[in-house]
Amino acid sequence: MTTYVIALFLGVFFGFSLNKAGLTKYHKIVNVFRFTDMAVLKFMMTALVVSMSGLFILRGLGVITFPNIPATYIAGNLIGGLIFGVGMALTGY
Amino acid sequence: MKSIVSYIRREEWSPYVAGILLGLVGITAVWASNSLLGASGAFENVVGMIGKAVAPAAFDNLYFNFIMPPGITYSVILLVGVFFGGMVGAATSGTLWWGKKGAANPDTQWKRVFGPQVWKRWVIAFFGAILLEFAAGIAGGCTSGLAISGGMLLAPAAFLFIAGMFASGILTALIIYRRSY
Repeated sequence: MTTYVIALFLGVFFGFSLNKAGLTKYHKIVNVFRFTDMAVLKFMMTALVVSMSGLFILRGLGVITFPNIPATYIAGNLIGGLIFGVGMALTGY
Repeated sequence: MKSIVSYIRREEWSPYVAGILLGLVGITAVWASNSLLGASGAFENVVGMIGKAVAPAAFDNLYFNFIMPPGITYSVILLVGVFFGGMVGAATSGTLWWGKKGAANPDTQWKRVFGPQVWKRWVIAFFGAILLEFAAGIAGGCTSGLAISGGMLLAPAAFLFIAGMFASGILTALIIYRRSY
């Protein structure tokens, strides 16, 4: 039950940050692929840098252990990414 | 204090500020519940649950039994939260156009490229979403579940996925925006 409350709570902040960064808008997503508005990349990379450094520091301090890391299988990840990009540019997801 | 409130009410934040917020959410997810943020998996969990009830034979396969077990999982609840979080975000910036005229497709750039018809938006969104979910199933996650959550654990899969996503995304945008790219 507690995990569900945590999930709901985290989800609200997740959706909130996506909305405020403008990632809920079609033109924001597609303009990254046209190199006219790099907001999505700025947002993604900032999130990556913050959480990456935070997580590795916390793991170094022994506070957390990492969950299962997404499996690497080169063909699957690459082909999935290739199809995903088409859908992303079409829908603005 | 007043400046903070007025910043929250802005429709568009600096992507860096919003990115820091998402980064902190990502850390909290691992710290508080030892799990990752994600969106696409939730749909598969729900579909698996419906499928098991409606057509058990068709859904009795490796994918829905072991890779994406059906049920109301952590990520389903997370996705419900995302829905409401997005609504809160829109409400604070005054863009929550529930049922107002033109709210179904307010994007001016979309209208310029594809035309003003709402049904076109829905059809393209529907088939694009099929591609998205199918691709996320192959790759093992979507932008949030694999690219961001995997990337913050430095998973190689995330960076392969990002490379593929941008390669084909740029190509698709090039085709759609032929003249005005």
